[in-house]
Amino acid sequence: MNILYFLIQQTMLFTIPLLITALGGMFSERSGIVNIALEGIMTMGAFTSILFLHFTEGFLSGNLQLIIACIIAVVTGIVFSVFHAIAAINLKADQTISGTALNMFAPAFAIFVARIIQGVQQVQFANTFLISNVPVLSDIPVIGSMFFKNAYITTYIGIVILIISSIVLYKTKFGLRLRACGEFPQAADAAGINVYFMQYMGVIISGALAGLGGLVFVVPTSTNFNATVSGYGFLALAVLIFGQWKPKYILLASLFFGFMKAVSSGYSGIPVLLSLNISQYIYKMVPYIATVIVLIFTSKNSSAPKASGIPFDKGKR
Amino acid sequence: MKKKIFSILVVLVMVFSLVACGNATVSTSGSAEEGGQKAETFELALVTDLGTIDDKSFNQGAWEGLTKYAKEKGISYKYYQPQEAGTNAYIKTIQLAIEGGAKLVVCPGYLFEEPVYEVQERYPDVRFILLDGEPHNADYSSYKTGNNVMAILYQEDQAGFLAGYAAVKDGNTNLGFMGGMAVPAVVRFGFGYLQGIDAAAKELGVNCNVMYNYTGGFAATPEAQNMAASWYANGTEVIFGCGGAVGNSVMSAAESKNKQENSFVAKVIGVDVDQYSESDTVITSAMKQLANSVYTGINAFYNGNFPGGTTTTFNVKNDGVGAAMEHAKFNTFSQADYDKVYTDLLDGKYTISNSTENTNPNEALTNLTNTNVTYVE
Repeated sequence: MNILYFLIQQTMLFTIPLLITALGGMFSERSGIVNIALEGIMTMGAFTSILFLHFTEGFLSGNLQLIIACIIAVVTGIVFSVFHAIAAINLKADQTISGTALNMFAPAFAIFVARIIQGVQQVQFANTFLISNVPVLSDIPVIGSMFFKNAYITTYIGIVILIISSIVLYKTKFGLRLRACGEFPQAADAAGINVYFMQYMGVIISGALAGLGGLVFVVPTSTNFNATVSGYGFLALAVLIFGQWKPKYILLASLFFGFMKAVSSGYSGIPVLLSLNISQYIYKMVPYIATVIVLIFTSKNSSAPKASGIPFDKGKR
Repeated sequence: MKKKIFSILVVLVMVFSLVACGNATVSTSGSAEEGGQKAETFELALVTDLGTIDDKSFNQGAWEGLTKYAKEKGISYKYYQPQEAGTNAYIKTIQLAIEGGAKLVVCPGYLFEEPVYEVQERYPDVRFILLDGEPHNADYSSYKTGNNVMAILYQEDQAGFLAGYAAVKDGNTNLGFMGGMAVPAVVRFGFGYLQGIDAAAKELGVNCNVMYNYTGGFAATPEAQNMAASWYANGTEVIFGCGGAVGNSVMSAAESKNKQENSFVAKVIGVDVDQYSESDTVITSAMKQLANSVYTGINAFYNGNFPGGTTTTFNVKNDGVGAAMEHAKFNTFSQADYDKVYTDLLDGKYTISNSTENTNPNEALTNLTNTNVTYVE
C-alpha cells in the first residue's frame, strides 16, 4: 500500500504542472489563438518567481512565500503572453512563429538576467513548502494518505483551477463567448462580441496559468532553476490535444501522462515493477504512443476549435 | 496613425532595453578580478568554461589553485570569461589572455580539449594546463599533447572508492548511484564507488545493496528527482549524485524525504568539489582536488620542470583526489578512519579496476562479493 501511496504522491508532482499549463493552453486555443509559447511562458514564470524565492530566502519561508511566488509567476506569465497576443491578434502574425520566438527568447533571457544579477545562471532556492500532513484530512483512511500527505499547496491550487476553469468555460457568459470566438469569430463579431477582447483574455489566461505551471513544475523537483522546464510546455500541448480541449479529459490526460512519467522514472524503487524487468523506455514511450493512437481515432471528428490558429479577419465571411 | 505611434514606441523600448543590456554586459566582463602587480600584463591566466568563476565546480576549484600560487609568489593573474560557448569562442578568449601577456593559461574542463589542440601549435611559447582532458581535434581522430601542454586527468575511481568506503563504514548498507551520461569519468566514479562499498562491506562482514543508474544527461530533471525519491522510499540511505545538476535532483529528493520522516534518513554524496554548501543532505563528496593540481602544475612551470607533452594523472599519490572530510556529516566515520583507508589505498592494499569499456557494473565488476548491484538501465 505504501508503494501505491508513494506512486500517487509522485504522480501528482508530474500531473499538476501539466494540468495547469494545459488548461492555460485550452483557454487560448478556445479563443482561437494557438499558443505554443507555453514552454517559454513556463520558463519565464518559473524564472521570476524562483528569483523571488531566492532573494526572500531567510526572512520568508513556507506557504506564504510560495503563494506570493505563485502570484509573481502569474503576473510574469500575463506580461510575457501579452507579447504573443499583440503579435497574433493586433498584428495578425503567424501564431506558430510568434510562439516559437517567445520559446527561444525565454531561456536566453533567464540565463542572461540571472548572470547579470547574481553571476551564476542557476538560481538556487530552498524548498520549505512540503506539507507532510494536512491536519484532519490526512487522517481519512486511504484517501488521506493518497492526497493529503507529502503534498504541496500547489496541488490543491491546481485542482481549484480545474474546477473554476470548467465552470468558467461552460457555465458563464464569458466562457460561451470565448468558445464562440474560437469556433466562428465572424459570427461572434456579428452578434456584438468584441472578438479582440475575448482573444486577449484567452491568451492572458493561458499566460497566467502557464507561468504558474512553470513554478509548480520546478519547486518540487530541484534545488535550483537552470533556465529550463525540460519540455513540459510542449508536453502540456500534447496533453491538451490528448484531452481534446475539454477540462475533464485534460484532467484524465494529465493524470495518465503524470502516472506514466512517475512509473517510468520511479519504477526502479518499486520492487514489484522492477521484477517485471520492463525497460524504462517502454514506460516513457507509452504516453506518446497513446497520444498518436488517440489522434488517429479522433482526427476525423476532432474537437479542436475550428478557428484556432487563423487570425481574425472581420471582413471574411 | 495610432498604430504607427505604437510601433515606434515599441521599437524605442526595444532599442533602449538593448542599450541597457549592453551596458550591463560591459560592466560584468569588466569586473574580472585583477590581482598582483598593477602592470598591464598578467602572467597567469585562467579561461572559464560555460560557468562563472564562482561555479562551485571546475572554474572555482582551478581558480583557487591559481590565485593561491600567484598570491604566494606575487605574480600577476587574471581570468577571462568567454562571451559564448563553443570552441571558437574559447580559442578567441585564450588568444585574448595571451595578448594580455599570459605565459601560462589554465583551461578547466574537458570542453577545452579541442581549443587547446588548436592553439598549442600557434603559441609554442605559451604553456597550457588542461584539466580533466587531453587535447584532440574535432572528430577525435587525432590526439596530440604539445610540449607546451600539461594535460591532467584524475583517477575518479579512487575518489569514488573513498566515498563509498566511508559511507558503508558509517553504517549504511542500502546505497545508490545516479550518474549523468555514461562517459568514462562518470563510469570510473561509479565503479570505484561500488568497489569501495564492497571493500568496506567485506571488512564489516555485511551485505550491501546498491541501486545503479546512468540518467543519460547532466540536467536536473523531475525524472531524476522521482527516481531518487523512489529509491529513498524503498529504503536507500545514501545516493551518490554523480553528474552535474543530477546531484541537485538527488538533493531535492533527499530533502523532501527527510522532511517527511522528520529525521536525517536520506543522504547524498556530492561530486567533483565539496558540495556541502548546496544542501544540508550532503554527507561527503567524491572530490577532484582541482586547486592542488593547478598549484602543482604552475609550481612546476616556475621551477623549470613543466611536464609538457605528457598527461599527468592525479590520484591519491599526489593528493589529486579524495573524499571531503572538512564538512562531512558522518556519524562514526572519523578523520582517523579516513586517513587509514587513504594510506591503505596509497600503499596498494586495495586494487581498483577502472576499465570503462563496459559500462554495466554487473558485467564489468564480477569480483564484488558482498555487494548486490541492481543496474537500472
